[in-house]
Amino acid sequence: MIFRFIEISNDTLFAYYLLSNLIYVVLLIAAVWTSTVHQRHLAGMPMTRLMSSPLTPPVALLVPARNEEKSIVESVHSLLELDYPGLEVIVINDGSTDRTLEELIEEFHLLETDLFYVPEIPTQIMRRIYVSPDDGRLLVLVKEWGHSKADCINAGVNAASSPYICVVDADAVLEKDALLRIMIPSLTEVHHVVASGGIVRVVNGSVVAGGQLREIRLPHRPLEILQVIEYLRAFLVGREGWAQFNLLMIISGAFGVFRRDLVKQVGGYRTDTVGEDIDLVTRLHRLLQERNQPYHINFVPDPVCWTEAPSDLRSLGRQRARWQKGLFDVLWRNRDMLFNPRYGRIGWLALPYLWIFELLAPVIELLGYTTLIAAALLGVLSRHFFLDFLLFGYAFATVISIGSVLQEEITYRRYNDWRDVTTLILFCFLDHFPYRQLQMFWRFWGLWQYLRGDWGWGQLQRVGFQSRDKTE
Amino acid sequence: MRSIFSWIWRLDPENHVILAILDFAIAVGSLLGFIFIRRASRRRYFRRRDERTLAIRKRWDAIVSGNVPPEAWRFDSLDRDIVEAILLDRLDLAPSGEAERLMHCLRSSGLLDIRIYEAGHCSGWQRRRALVCLGRMHAAEAIPALAEALGDPDAKVRLAALRGLGSVGLPEASAPILERVVLGDLQVPAAPLQNALLNCCRLRPSLLLSYVLRAEDSVRPLLARVLGEVASQELGEDLLLLASDPLADVRASAARALGEAAPALGLSALANLVHDEEWFVRLRAIAALGRLHDAQSIPLMVEGLCDSNRHVRLRSAAALARFDAQLEEIFGLVRQKHDRYAMQALVAELERSGALLHLVESLPNDASYQSTECLLLTAFRAGAERFLVDILAHHVDLHVRIAVARVLARSGEIRLIPTLEQLAASAPSWRGQCVTRWVLQQLRESPVPQPMG
Repeated sequence: MIFRFIEISNDTLFAYYLLSNLIYVVLLIAAVWTSTVHQRHLAGMPMTRLMSSPLTPPVALLVPARNEEKSIVESVHSLLELDYPGLEVIVINDGSTDRTLEELIEEFHLLETDLFYVPEIPTQIMRRIYVSPDDGRLLVLVKEWGHSKADCINAGVNAASSPYICVVDADAVLEKDALLRIMIPSLTEVHHVVASGGIVRVVNGSVVAGGQLREIRLPHRPLEILQVIEYLRAFLVGREGWAQFNLLMIISGAFGVFRRDLVKQVGGYRTDTVGEDIDLVTRLHRLLQERNQPYHINFVPDPVCWTEAPSDLRSLGRQRARWQKGLFDVLWRNRDMLFNPRYGRIGWLALPYLWIFELLAPVIELLGYTTLIAAALLGVLSRHFFLDFLLFGYAFATVISIGSVLQEEITYRRYNDWRDVTTLILFCFLDHFPYRQLQMFWRFWGLWQYLRGDWGWGQLQRVGFQSRDKTE
Repeated sequence: MRSIFSWIWRLDPENHVILAILDFAIAVGSLLGFIFIRRASRRRYFRRRDERTLAIRKRWDAIVSGNVPPEAWRFDSLDRDIVEAILLDRLDLAPSGEAERLMHCLRSSGLLDIRIYEAGHCSGWQRRRALVCLGRMHAAEAIPALAEALGDPDAKVRLAALRGLGSVGLPEASAPILERVVLGDLQVPAAPLQNALLNCCRLRPSLLLSYVLRAEDSVRPLLARVLGEVASQELGEDLLLLASDPLADVRASAARALGEAAPALGLSALANLVHDEEWFVRLRAIAALGRLHDAQSIPLMVEGLCDSNRHVRLRSAAALARFDAQLEEIFGLVRQKHDRYAMQALVAELERSGALLHLVESLPNDASYQSTECLLLTAFRAGAERFLVDILAHHVDLHVRIAVARVLARSGEIRLIPTLEQLAASAPSWRGQCVTRWVLQQLRESPVPQPMG
């Protein structure tokens, strides 16, 4: 009986890896195709015309900030220097206990004002609103701590007056033309684009000065390099592939554009979840599918948002556990959409994929690894099976990781130095062992925390751009 | 019991392992090989292109003037692409004399004809590229080829043709677009369509007007929006027809266009639109009044300041804040409205725009000191309290701080006492402490607010 269980479990793990990798191969092919088409499309796209056109709709950049004193000034400078007509930068200071607000007041000579604030989406109490006489595009909201990033963003949505909102993390650096590029599908596609996500890349190791990225390099720490590969695979293969089929369920909370009217219609970001980004996209899908309205949720691979990735195991573990909790929460709340014909491809493809290959992945993998070890200890592990497992579980997946580096290389090519490319490829061999197993534990821990009722965010240790400049 | 994957395991074990390792090595090797070969070939290509570009740039004047015959570079595709790219880049920025010389080169070298041919005979990506290039050449001869491509069944070709016509930027290029739009025969996204029309109709906006009047209701707002952007005084009374249009979007665009009309015409039409039932029409009307910047429109904008919609209020406040010389009249009119939020919006905008700071800084040397002080008192009571206290605490000019101290003292506002006490205690300079203590003393001695002038 035990041997039978071990055999089934091992078969399940094998089938799981095989299927997961096959799906990734499909996504990789779709992503390479989309990137090529996108680049050709861009070749005939005069950015300057969009930049100078009075018809380009304004965008409000919402920057939630809680205790971001190390990077807030650089970030706001970087955002104000973006190439985009009709920009509105709204920093929402969410009850910071450090010098975030003071840094902003000193740098931008902020003045307190009595601008109207109508909380169309309910939020925590708004304490003060500051404007900058130096730059009329900057607005700083000071509110009571809402215990969630979502509450912060909702306050920004209320204060914004532009038809599009773009949520950007305070510790992120956008490339100068990132906003213009992310808006291109909304302005030129025949499909009704309601939201677009941009690519998020790891800034660790690169040189940032004056809120701008001066030199792109790979980080030095192995943990950070592995995250670079992970981000490339997730964005350039995963999201680009899913978006091609209009099945994109996640737009990163670090960088995404949404139609403001639709965000309001779904009631803004949900404040009682840690996965507010995936939750919003899921609710947008739900709303538009229920209305039977044509829409497209897009991923644009070239507008880049550079963000700081955790550089120690503890912070990374917390971040991954939090992502898993957020995913669990959102999928559970929207379980009625699963295999529901009313929600079309979302109910039949996107959500089942998230349930099986994202949410339950740590459970399946942990169980599989346990029985694999048990089989080895009991002497019933077939050599053939183990070799097949290595072939499809490790080697196949490693080829896909190298494929994502290839995708980066043939399309956007941000890492120009051949040493960086070689390092990336070498680290692809560590991506599925042991990095994947580490992630499995963190994600399992996230599920466990969620089931125990611990829904908190956890604290991330930030280095900040200024100190990063000095250290590098 | 047999596993469902036993078909794989039935393979001979050694062969199986060797096969697996070989497959893996081939897959990884192919990927790595591809990456590095591609890098090397691209590096070689770009090096060659840079060398050719340098050589062409050295002979540039001779190429443009025709001293170097086109046959010397036209038959090499790399050279041809480089010459075309430089020509088109320069054409985008060239003054008219230079543009004529470049256009002559495009025509005489046959580059224009090649692209026209490609636009008509190629397909897919090549055709789209030809259409975009034709647009950048700004040549009237390209219009028929671009217009023909507007009817292509492929949406991307239509989009490229539309962009091309927009880039040509000549009024004649708008006709094929407008004809198709009016007939409902052009399926393209709104933004590129509007941008193309914007470029083409900028020189002759009257071209658009007749189409706006006769188009279907589904496309009239779109065309009217473009008209609103390109409108000039030449349109005159024709805009009045649009100002009374049944479609709110068209009225909004008409309001925008009226901002560019003659003030006499604009003011009377906008006076009606300020009372429109749709908030965005009122918003556009207020914005247009702001652009006209005529003092006669102040009462209308004050009405906008009391509008039920906050965007209209904010826009009215922004427009009113630009009337520096009429601030006294504006404050008087707003006070008569007894609308606290209107006053607050105005004061907030004066703060934001820097007008209030300008007013405060002019106070020490102001000939009409009394009226300015009165204005500041009004602003103070409408919510500029923190702003003025901030100036008292931090302004670099002592005279300005003294002037603000007088205003605060005259306000008689005893609520300020705790704040000022804190300020006096933390003031960095002795003078600052003296000024703040004087205000405190004045406020304690006369707690009853002074009547305002």
